[in-house]
Amino acid sequence: MSNNIVIFGGDSHPELVNRICENLDIKPSQVELGKFANGETSISVRSSVREKDVYVIQSGCGHVNDTFMQLLILISACKSASASRVTAVMPYLCYSRQPDIPYTAKGAPLVSKPRNSLSSTSKTNDENTTTNQSKILHNGVLQSTNTVNRPGSEFPFKSLDNAIRSSIQMEQPVPVREPKLAKTSSMSRIPVIPDGRISRGANNDAEELFNAQNSGYKLWVVQAGTLIANLLTTAGADHVITMDLHDRQFPGFFTVPVDNLYCKPMAQNYIQHFIPGYKDAVIVSPDAGGAKRATAIADALELSVAIIHKEKRSQLPKGPPDATLTSGVSLSSKPLISHNSVDDTINSNSNQVPVLSANGVATEFANSNAKSSKYIQTTMLVGDVRNKVCILIDDLIDTSYTITRAAQLLKDQGATKIYALATHGIFSGDALDRIKLSPIDKIIVSNTIPQERTIKKLGKHRVGIIDVSLVFAEAIRRIHNGESISMLFEYGF
Amino acid sequence: MANNSIKLLAPDVHRGLAELVSKRLGVPLTDCKLQRDPTGEVSFSIGESVRDQDIFIITQIGSGEVNDRVLELLIMINASKTASARRITAIIPNFPYARQDRKDKSRAPITAKLMADMLTTAGCDHIITMDLHASQIQGFFDVPVDNLYAEPSVVRYIKENVNYEEAIIISPDAGGAKRAAGLADRLDLNFALIHKERARANEVSRMVLVGDVTDKICIIVDDMADTCGTLAKAAEILLQNRAKSVIAIVTHGILSGNAIKNINNSKLDKVVCTNTVPFEEKMKECPKLDVIDISSVLSESVRRLHNGESISFLFKHSPL
Repeated sequence: MSNNIVIFGGDSHPELVNRICENLDIKPSQVELGKFANGETSISVRSSVREKDVYVIQSGCGHVNDTFMQLLILISACKSASASRVTAVMPYLCYSRQPDIPYTAKGAPLVSKPRNSLSSTSKTNDENTTTNQSKILHNGVLQSTNTVNRPGSEFPFKSLDNAIRSSIQMEQPVPVREPKLAKTSSMSRIPVIPDGRISRGANNDAEELFNAQNSGYKLWVVQAGTLIANLLTTAGADHVITMDLHDRQFPGFFTVPVDNLYCKPMAQNYIQHFIPGYKDAVIVSPDAGGAKRATAIADALELSVAIIHKEKRSQLPKGPPDATLTSGVSLSSKPLISHNSVDDTINSNSNQVPVLSANGVATEFANSNAKSSKYIQTTMLVGDVRNKVCILIDDLIDTSYTITRAAQLLKDQGATKIYALATHGIFSGDALDRIKLSPIDKIIVSNTIPQERTIKKLGKHRVGIIDVSLVFAEAIRRIHNGESISMLFEYGF
Repeated sequence: MANNSIKLLAPDVHRGLAELVSKRLGVPLTDCKLQRDPTGEVSFSIGESVRDQDIFIITQIGSGEVNDRVLELLIMINASKTASARRITAIIPNFPYARQDRKDKSRAPITAKLMADMLTTAGCDHIITMDLHASQIQGFFDVPVDNLYAEPSVVRYIKENVNYEEAIIISPDAGGAKRAAGLADRLDLNFALIHKERARANEVSRMVLVGDVTDKICIIVDDMADTCGTLAKAAEILLQNRAKSVIAIVTHGILSGNAIKNINNSKLDKVVCTNTVPFEEKMKECPKLDVIDISSVLSESVRRLHNGESISFLFKHSPL
């Protein structure tokens, strides 16, 4: 390798840096990373970068604001020290996914808190990608959630919707309002049947106060994507390498080239080599937004697909038109479809919705809790998983609410074995505890983010790690030599 | 014509200064909400419309989670920008990374410049800050920067709290001589200088006193007190030179690391800081700390900026 290349690693993921450097057969250059007494990041670059091709590797994990600032300062230092080109290598790009609703302290999106004492003690309370639903979990804990967050997680249009919104500088505020209604950015698409009375009661949720005071204004949450892109280019990044961006539109926020590498070839490889009997497996997407990702892998491996779909429709109690609902056997205790539909009319109508059980507790809950909205929340599985090995595919796992809930649904539907495969395993908060309790047999993530904690918590046999250092090293080599990297998209390495 | 009014925004931590400014201006703080996920990623929302409004974001950045505060500020600015605010002014009394303002060794980052670029990238139209470590940092920005001075407030504090006829102003290093001399002129006092040879950042080595402090109340003036090692050492040297007593007045009391311990163990009678940096909790641990409220200067500058009036009056005078 030419001696014109310099690689710096941030302190977020030293192991990956070493692996990438090993694959490139060069040593990471010396850089001293630290902090001043007052908490400001201090950096001194120990080797010359003049007219060099500099790569700075920093994953968006750990304490992200610190690691991100460290990356920016390091890029800026290299740039001002006359580096000819600085490339930011961010295996996981932080802030690349912004929910439409603020987080709670626990990290789950903010929801209106159910007044039910049971559910408020429940840890598995809110969920990352669904909307307003009350349902019985496998452990019998009643819970209510309403939120939506990850772009693309709910409606097929949503990721597009989000991208447009971000690219037009958010002139359209993301509507998030009456906490009792479902809060979703796609709400404008849903016919709302207004119901004047919204019970505010003792619910002191900040957001509710927030909205009560500003009835003419819809709460919205800023999407930081463009800002992050601009900050990187402002610091002096000439090129960005990342992997499996949550939004495919994200590279459009940058004014510099972004190479979005794919984990898919490695994921396929893993499935073929390490999942016994994969030929009869079903690829499952835990939400509609990820359907494309799942079907791409399924197509490549010639496997069948199932999709878990969370849908919110207005009250009209007709069955989900084109959904194939497999089995309703276990419904008595574990409803396949639950709903938070909410006024008496709906409750009385609810039995008209096929396979939808107005379960005793759930109904009670719905009655007591939300009298304002006329939505029906359904979670349905499209496809057959009975007696099959299921492979859940997602791009990232953060709070793990989606994936564990999906796994439970699959188990209820008779899946024999459940694998969960994701590129980025963030596992924030008590995500790992939740996975530990879930019926997921094996969780497979890549090492874009350090996974020592995952292995420690779940044990070696339940965790599979996909090494992505080779593909990053190859991308760096090719970019440095000015070769095409499109081959990496197809075949991985 | 749409009405264009002041909107004050502040992050959810260290709101003390923002609340004081808001009280003085009679403008309530705009509802806004910052939420962090466990890794520290921030999501932000503003609780009311800010379209075509004059936004002022007040943030106190002290020690500790500086990077978190910076990212939060940037996201708040960007949020206001994308919400079609007419003008966004960031009030950053203690400008972070102000000491990384030059390439003092090979390949050192000029982080202050990076901060400036980041603020303008996020969409900031105006910066209000106070006692910049080096006023040249203003040149790093493409947007106007109003560098306010704590000096008028310090002058008032000295006049009200110190028997200042017996006092002498001390600069703890050569770089601060100009600041100390200016203050001494305003109070018509003498001043002395401590010359120090700094080995590394946050470390102090040998110190030499230039000037006579015999039987005087020494007022050490500096723009920033970090670990307070310098101040403690300076106090010792002054007392060795037969000073009567020593107090220190600094604009930005960052007070990181062992600062509280250093102050408590030192021979300083008092350490007075302005409230540009949040240090309320530290005051409980350290009875020697005192505070100068500069919210009046900030609120007056907000008012003047909003109305398009001159701010230079505030460079010499401290409003009540």
